[in-house]
Amino acid sequence: MAMRARHKIRAPRRGGTSAAKPESFDAIWSVLSSSLTEINTKNASTLAFEELYRHAYKIALMMRGEELHDKVKELEQQWLQNNVQKLITGSISSILVRTHNSLDAPDQSNERREAGEKFLAALKDAWEDHQLCMGMVTDVLMYMDRMVLASHTKPSIYVVCMALFRDHILRSSVRPGSELKVIEMLESTILFMIQLERSGHMIERPLIRHCIQMMEGLYETITEEESTKLYLTIFEPAFLDTSKDFYQAEGRRLLEIGDAATFCRMAIQRIVEEQERCQYTLAITTQPKILDLLDEHLIRTNIAEVVNLEGTGVRHMLDHNHLDALRDIYSLNARVDPKKEALAKAVNKRIVEMGKDINALSKQFPPTPAPSAKKDEKSDRKEKATDKQRPVNQQTESAIRWVDEILALKRKFDDVWEKAFLSDQGLESSIMGSFSDFINMNPRSSEFLSLFFDENLKKGIKGKTESEVDALLDNGITLLRYIKDKDLFETYYKKHLSRRLLMKRAASMDAERQMISKMKMEVGNQFTQRIEAMFKDMTISEDLSANYKDHVSKTGDPDQKPVDLEVNVLTSNMWPMDIMASTKEGTVQLPCIYPKEISSLIHSFERFYLGKHNGRKLSWQASMGTGDIRATFKRPNGKVQRYELNVSTYAMVILMLFNDTPDGEPLTYQEIQMRTQIPDHDLIRNLQSLAVAPKTRVLKKDPMSKNVQPADRFFFNHEFHSPFVKVRIGVVSGGANKVENTDQRKDTEQKMSEERGGTIEAAIVRIMKQRKNLMHQQLMTEVISQLNSRFVPDVHMIKRRIESLIDREYLERISEEPPTYGYIA
Amino acid sequence: MDSSQSEYVTLVSCDGFEFILPRSTACVSGTIRRMLHPSSKFSEGISGRCVLDDMTGVVLEKVCEYFCYNEKHKDQANVPDMDIPPELCLELLMAADYLDT
Repeated sequence: MAMRARHKIRAPRRGGTSAAKPESFDAIWSVLSSSLTEINTKNASTLAFEELYRHAYKIALMMRGEELHDKVKELEQQWLQNNVQKLITGSISSILVRTHNSLDAPDQSNERREAGEKFLAALKDAWEDHQLCMGMVTDVLMYMDRMVLASHTKPSIYVVCMALFRDHILRSSVRPGSELKVIEMLESTILFMIQLERSGHMIERPLIRHCIQMMEGLYETITEEESTKLYLTIFEPAFLDTSKDFYQAEGRRLLEIGDAATFCRMAIQRIVEEQERCQYTLAITTQPKILDLLDEHLIRTNIAEVVNLEGTGVRHMLDHNHLDALRDIYSLNARVDPKKEALAKAVNKRIVEMGKDINALSKQFPPTPAPSAKKDEKSDRKEKATDKQRPVNQQTESAIRWVDEILALKRKFDDVWEKAFLSDQGLESSIMGSFSDFINMNPRSSEFLSLFFDENLKKGIKGKTESEVDALLDNGITLLRYIKDKDLFETYYKKHLSRRLLMKRAASMDAERQMISKMKMEVGNQFTQRIEAMFKDMTISEDLSANYKDHVSKTGDPDQKPVDLEVNVLTSNMWPMDIMASTKEGTVQLPCIYPKEISSLIHSFERFYLGKHNGRKLSWQASMGTGDIRATFKRPNGKVQRYELNVSTYAMVILMLFNDTPDGEPLTYQEIQMRTQIPDHDLIRNLQSLAVAPKTRVLKKDPMSKNVQPADRFFFNHEFHSPFVKVRIGVVSGGANKVENTDQRKDTEQKMSEERGGTIEAAIVRIMKQRKNLMHQQLMTEVISQLNSRFVPDVHMIKRRIESLIDREYLERISEEPPTYGYIA
Repeated sequence: MDSSQSEYVTLVSCDGFEFILPRSTACVSGTIRRMLHPSSKFSEGISGRCVLDDMTGVVLEKVCEYFCYNEKHKDQANVPDMDIPPELCLELLMAADYLDT
């Protein structure tokens, strides 16, 4: 380059006086060594950094840096051995040496502690001085260091000096000729201090922290790998070891105290303590290790025992609502087991126990008049009907109480779950599981729950706000979720619902609809299909009644006194017909003979209806109807009192018989029976309500007794008296929904199992149609999974159904090993 | 006087030239940084005055110019080259090595 060529490059000049006289290595070293000693004795302020640096620089330039390196190392080693080491060993008092091996010697703990603190302080000072001086030395020798490092033959002087400290201070003997090393002394002293702190004493945390930092700053090898820190190789294992022993003993000690809440509190406190210790006294890297150890030895080994501690364990906490203690135990259990098995088990056990108590209570309560009930079963039906009335009502009550109690229990555990178990998902499902378990242990749970809904939809929701009703229904629905046999519930619900609808007992149609939509959300469309159909029938019937009224007024019925008719036309397969037709198997029920006014009305309606819908058959369910009659009572004083009576259809038919009977003449039971053809069962009940019930005694009975006998005679009671003009005469034990008696239960169960058989067959055929061929085991699992939302199918029943389908040639056996079926199209 | 707090330091050449620079600017050099480090108990650290016995005023002036240049263009890309007289470059090289810059 032209520009550069013009200038000459001057040779570097040695500036200043030093350049003039070339110095020998030894001369420079003597200056340096005396200066380094000055540094060690903390007299550096008289030294000029630049001068020392320049000396080192010169030596490095002479290419004798490594020599200097060795010399410095030697010098520092001498210094440590001759001065520092004495200081340290001098600070170790004999008590420390004596008590070295024992972790706790309570009688001497104070002296030992003082001696230990002195020792630690001396060590800390020595270390800090060494660190500082070596820092300065390294700075001064930086130029040399750079050279040495570049040649890769030796480690940095700083590292070397640190290693010197390790070897000549920490690894020196405590006493001349003693096996005991300073580092072992250090370890045992710190462990002793920690032990003191664990037993509640205050200790000099920063001091220990400094010593720990020293061990963290020193390495086993010159390469200074993280894993070879003295802290990690020597102290931490020892610390963990003693901690393990300590916490094993601590666990035993706490268990012996025998109070679960205390155990949890102490354990949590220990965890916090250890965390703090790692933060302020030891190294933060130890925290996960010591916590693991704590989890393992203090918690995991003991948690099951703590949970089950007699009298103070989880059971006690649940019973006494000790949410704080439960929360503690939950957090402990969560530390060692993500599933929280021990806790879940205990909680589940308690739930099932409490649930069983509730179940037992609901069974226990009713049979207080048990002996009489037993006797009744043998005697005739009439007696049974009356005597069972009271217990049955009580049973209904207890069914509703059963539901209420379960809801209360559920609320309690929801509360516990939310507040103590931090809404833990796993525990939620296990709690739900145990609820489901005990609820399904009660074979009548479906019935009870339906009764609960019935009661609330009839009376319970009156005067409640919408949101209250909503919450109430939601509660019920939650229980429905637990019930496995949903089809059984459906049956009962339909039965109770039909009574509510037909007898107009439902308090609010809105609430009913709300209930259905809730069920639909919970269980599915299929489940509510029929129930919805029932509602549809009701609305259609309303229209129909209106249309018929219209029709009658237009055609001008020849009947002079038209009777208002309100009909409900029900689709027979949607409604639980069995509750209406009270026929027993084997007996053919003759239709009831209606008085002529009524029968002409019936004919008229049938003509009207069949004119609209061809090919349908109407069958009249008198047992479900009601009638309003205006009755005239002649009082002895000649006055006439009128009452409007609202009675069941049967009662209306009975009362109208007296229209054709001369005044004062009696009708016997048999006469009534013959002329009306009302089934015995219903007739007895209706006569009871007309002649026995004290407030609605429209008929007089002779003899005056509770039970109706075939030979009893009935008179029209002109003395009937009531404060109201409109009188509602309910049928004894007819209208209300209540717990079934044993016979009815058997009936329901039988019907249920028939229905289930059909459902199972349908499911089998559905599956096979799709799959064509399927192994037995697979078919079983598919059927069960398909039906699970409705009920838990019985395996034997499925097997029987498969057999029967094979017999009827829907399926065939393809092979025996393994058993496989094929679908026959 | 607590020099470690003072904002400026003095660099002295072997022939007696004194250069006063902001502390942070001078500390671009590793050697000077160590020399002046607050925890260092050396006389430089205490007085805030560094005598560089190996450097002439001419070289030290250029060195100080570089310190300022460095400080000015810190954290920038595409900075203009500093003008270095060719006759000084060998000595500057040695100074840079010495000062660990």
